[in-house]
Amino acid sequence: MEHPELNNLDIVEIQKYQCNRSPMLFIDKITRAKPGEFAIGYKNFTYNEWFFPQHYPDDPNVPGFVIVEAMVQVFLMTFLTIPQYKGERTNFVKIHDVAFRSKITPGDQLALEARLFKFKRGIAHGQVEGQINGNIACEGTFTVAVPSTLNKYKPKG
Amino acid sequence: MIEKYNHVFIESFGVTDADLKNLEYQGVKAWDSVGHMAMVSELEDTFDIEMDIEDIIEISSYEKGKEILGRYGIKL
Repeated sequence: MEHPELNNLDIVEIQKYQCNRSPMLFIDKITRAKPGEFAIGYKNFTYNEWFFPQHYPDDPNVPGFVIVEAMVQVFLMTFLTIPQYKGERTNFVKIHDVAFRSKITPGDQLALEARLFKFKRGIAHGQVEGQINGNIACEGTFTVAVPSTLNKYKPKG
Repeated sequence: MIEKYNHVFIESFGVTDADLKNLEYQGVKAWDSVGHMAMVSELEDTFDIEMDIEDIIEISSYEKGKEILGRYGIKL
C-alpha cells in the first residue's frame, strides 16, 4: 500500500515517529519522507552540542558514533513513517561499510538522504549518505529490526 | 537441492555440515529471532518462494525446515 509523502517534519513531529530523545536525538528536520521508500533531512551542529567540549577541546569535531546515529535516525524515518510502525522501538542488527569522508565541525549542517532497499517482517535494510556543503561527508548501509514485529515470526518454545 | 538448503543454514548461522542434523532454534547463538528472519529470507530467495507466517514460526530446526519446504513443492 502506498502512503503519501510527508514534508517538513519538525522536531516535535519527528519524535512522534521514533523513540530517540535528546541528548541522543540527532535529526533537526525531515524535509521529505516517502514512507517505505526514502527520507531526507538534516542535523545542524553548533558548539552547544554536549560532546564538542570533550571531543576535542583544541579540535572540536563530531564523534563517529554521533554521525552513525544521525545517519540511522534518518534511515528510521523511511519505515517508521509507515502508519502501522509509527513510534515503534528499533534495534541495530548490522552496520555495513560505514565511511567517514570528512570531519564535521561546529557550524556544519549535515544533510542526510536515506533510501530503504527492503523492509520485510520487521527487518529494514537500506543506505544513507550525508553531505556537508554538497560534498560527501559520510555514508553507510544499515540493517535495523523492529523487535515487536520480529517477535511475531520467531519459533515457539 | 539439499546443498543449497544446507548452504543457507551454514551461511546464516556460521555452523558446519556436521552441526546441521541437530541444529535447532536457539541451539546456537546466531539462531535468535533476528537470525531466524535472516535465514527465512535467504530460504525464500534461494528457492524463490514466499512463506506463510505459520510456516515461518514452525521452522524450529534444520530437520523441520525440510518438512516445511516440502509444502512449497521443494523436495530435499
